[in-house]
Amino acid sequence: MAQPTDLLQGTLDMLILKTLAPGQEHGWAIAQRIQQMSDNVLQIGQGSLYPALHRLEYRGWIRAEWGASENNRRARFYALTAAGRRQLDSEVKSWDRLAGAVNLVLQRA
Amino acid sequence: MMTELGARMRFFLTSRKRMDVDEEIQFHVEREIAANVAAGMPLPEAKRRAAIAFGSRERAREACREERPSFVLESLGRDLRYGLRGLLRNPGFAAVAILTLALAIGANATIFSLIDQALMQALPVTDPGKLVELSFAGGRPGHLHSEGGDTPGHIHEFSYPMYRDLRERNTVLSGLIAESPLTLGVTWNNRAESVRAELVSGNYFETLGVRPAVGRLFVATDETAPGANPVAVLSFDYWKTHLAEAPVVGKTLLVNGNAFTITGVASPGFHSMVWGQTPDVYVPLSMEQILQPEWPYLSDHQSYWAAVAGRLKPGVTRAQAEASLNTLWQNLRAAEFTQLRDQSASARQNFLSAGHLHVDDGARGFSPMRESLTTPLTIILGMVLLVIAMAVVNVASLLLVRAATRAREFSVRYALGATGPQILRQLLAEGMLLGLTGAALGLAIVPETLRLLIRWMSGNGEGLPFAAALNWHVLGLTLAVTVAASLLFSLAPAMQFRSPRLAESMKERSGSGGSLRFRRTCVALQIGFSLLLIVAAGLFVRTIGNLRRVNPGFATDHVLGFELDPSLAGYGAAAVAPVEQRALDALAALPGVRAVGATNDEDLASDDIQGDMVPVGYVEKPDEEFDVELPWVSDGYLQTLGVPLIAGRNFNAGDTATSDHVAIVNESYAKHYFGMAQVALGHHIARPNKPGTEATIVGVVRDVKHASMRDPAVATCYTLFAQATRQTDLTFYLRTWQAPQDVTASVRAAIAHIDTKLIVGKPWTLTEEIEDNLLAERAVAMLAAAFGGLATLLAGIGLYGILAYSTAQRTREIGIRMALGARRGTVVGLILREVLLLAGGAMAVTIPLAMLATKGVRSVLFGVSMADPLVYGGAVLTICLVAALAGFIPARRAATVDPARALRTE
Repeated sequence: MAQPTDLLQGTLDMLILKTLAPGQEHGWAIAQRIQQMSDNVLQIGQGSLYPALHRLEYRGWIRAEWGASENNRRARFYALTAAGRRQLDSEVKSWDRLAGAVNLVLQRA
Repeated sequence: MMTELGARMRFFLTSRKRMDVDEEIQFHVEREIAANVAAGMPLPEAKRRAAIAFGSRERAREACREERPSFVLESLGRDLRYGLRGLLRNPGFAAVAILTLALAIGANATIFSLIDQALMQALPVTDPGKLVELSFAGGRPGHLHSEGGDTPGHIHEFSYPMYRDLRERNTVLSGLIAESPLTLGVTWNNRAESVRAELVSGNYFETLGVRPAVGRLFVATDETAPGANPVAVLSFDYWKTHLAEAPVVGKTLLVNGNAFTITGVASPGFHSMVWGQTPDVYVPLSMEQILQPEWPYLSDHQSYWAAVAGRLKPGVTRAQAEASLNTLWQNLRAAEFTQLRDQSASARQNFLSAGHLHVDDGARGFSPMRESLTTPLTIILGMVLLVIAMAVVNVASLLLVRAATRAREFSVRYALGATGPQILRQLLAEGMLLGLTGAALGLAIVPETLRLLIRWMSGNGEGLPFAAALNWHVLGLTLAVTVAASLLFSLAPAMQFRSPRLAESMKERSGSGGSLRFRRTCVALQIGFSLLLIVAAGLFVRTIGNLRRVNPGFATDHVLGFELDPSLAGYGAAAVAPVEQRALDALAALPGVRAVGATNDEDLASDDIQGDMVPVGYVEKPDEEFDVELPWVSDGYLQTLGVPLIAGRNFNAGDTATSDHVAIVNESYAKHYFGMAQVALGHHIARPNKPGTEATIVGVVRDVKHASMRDPAVATCYTLFAQATRQTDLTFYLRTWQAPQDVTASVRAAIAHIDTKLIVGKPWTLTEEIEDNLLAERAVAMLAAAFGGLATLLAGIGLYGILAYSTAQRTREIGIRMALGARRGTVVGLILREVLLLAGGAMAVTIPLAMLATKGVRSVLFGVSMADPLVYGGAVLTICLVAALAGFIPARRAATVDPARALRTE
């Protein structure tokens, strides 16, 4: 298994928003999902997951509700708001631009 | 953006509870355990892994809380709570610090409020930003009636015909207004009194946007043919205080004996387009002739008397207006020039080519008063800033002393996990708490100090146009000053506790007085500030002394003056001079009166009546503009004041209205035109362009001071009011045997005996008049002395604190010295030397600064050199005395140390 990589500052917010794009999810599932999708390269430190969720909620990009989990326990589910969807779009765009630029430098230099 | 703001607001009100976060974390961990078990782990191992994977729950909880929008406010509240607790633990210290700050901040707010009102506030009219004030450069042969405020190249008074032409023919202004102040005699309910009044153009109120409180104000059509529309508007204050808000619209008011109809009352708060003028009554300009029958101002192109202001049309800039109005004005002046007697090239150059019409920003209103207030207020503001600086230094050194004893407290805090920024924040919060409490206390006393200061600055004269109220400018500035000051004084100790290591080293050093150098700097600064303030006080006290000692050329004691204006009692043109002559005769017969004289140009009251008076047939040199003082006097005036005659004769009873017209000139006048006094006698002189002003010089007198004790004597030509071309109000002077105040009652009685309607205006002695003219100097001197005393006291206390501390530290050293045979005198000298070195060093740095600062106020000083040895010597001596006094007590205590005990103490 490859060594887990530290997330770039700010990218965690974008990944959370992206994970929530298909539909609502609770905290544990969000962490699992990011881990799986990245082939276990990205492991979300739990200490930073919940503050990030709270931050996004306070900014109005996601919305939280109590609901029942798959094993029928009370859990807090997060879903994208309209503002969050717009934010995700713009973050993905600027990420693409940044990654593209970094790649160009790596290839050409 | 808005949604984010909305969300923040919502969460601020209903923050998520701690329980929610706990439950969420609990769920996460349980879900992780379940997943681990599903992957085949035994339960204990699954729990262990899950706990490791999550990490510290407490950290997560804390991090979630920090994300809360209200977190900043919560921590600020906590810092303030800690700060308050810290201050309450040491109430004596807090009280001293807060009081110091309250005094300094209160003084600052008071002075700034005055400056704000005098120099910054716009007039209380509609859209003051669109107002412009007009002034001009260029020759002005003829008569100038100025209330002051003119500077070279900026004459603010215009002739009425010029104003009318500018108003009617300009294309850039939506309104052009004019006003001229005057005193009127008003009778209401059979009670006569003299009031301040303003002659105003018909469009005055409309253009300014002033609304009536009652009735209607003037409109353009109220400015009719001369004398045709006797109407008056009252100011709100006058209506309220003098007429008890009686129904006045349509009622008749007797003005100088003429019936005027009151149309309305102006809105509260409005006074004039000229800042500083507070008229009681407004009358249309077109009524000028009725109120001042002797002055045909309305038709005269050569009488400059009305201040003019305009309102820019929408879309017109000030520069465009100036260009357009200047062209118009130049054309009007060219037409005017053809009517002048002097058509020489130099006169043309002076009148036309050198002429220019200025259009300046008029939002604050033109004001003759502003200029005279600016310098003293600025000086006082400078002193107040020094006092604030002192207060900051004082509180900083107090905080530092306290900090030394708090090293333990902060070490414990660091040990418990507080971070550097947290400690810094808490110290700043404590400082802010001190500063804001001080500011609140200071502001609370401001309305009262303002009232006191205004009353005191007004002296015996007319009321100043200041309000004793706080406004947003003052509150804003005070807040800014408070925050800046608080940052400064809390930074000093905060720097010492920036990191845990420093706190440790502080603790070690607290026994050896490590912060002593900073405290020394503080005391040195305080000594410097005190010296500056004492020097300022000394310079102004000397200035006042010098001004009092100035010899005006005649004796100013035992002289009572008062004003008498028969026209205010309804006397017509021809009746004024006879009644004035009757008054002179009646007063001369009073017991205790040595001599009586009268003049239309009050002495030593900053009054000027100037014009040109040249020998008949005299050819003016190019560019010669020789204005002379032109008082009209009674035949006994010069003898009453005691102006020495040096050639020819004085006026006497033989010089009457029907005899040959005579004049007496002073030395400066005789020297300018004739070279020497004797030559002047017998020459004929006259005012250019003024028929009937010709007179023969019969005497020459010495130069005496006229406008004020400060201004040098100017060329003067005295003529008799009995022979004058028109009648006027007079100021009477009585030379008395006993105290001049004692004859006031008999003067009133004598005047009332002639006619009870005659008003005796402001009877006071010449000495009082002189003192009144020294008001600004006195105000500055007294405030400087008060601040200087305060500063010296603070410096003395600071000095004492340092010495008491450092001598206590040196007890052992002193003990050893004394054990080795040092005498008491030597020990005292040792301590005193430290004090005087500190004080001397501080003064050596400050004295050059003080001299530099003195340069800035040179214009206000009188007869004092910038390096006046008496002032500086006195200041240095005062500081040395205070320093020695502060050092003496610790020095004595040190000298009485018992060597054996001192050595045993450690």
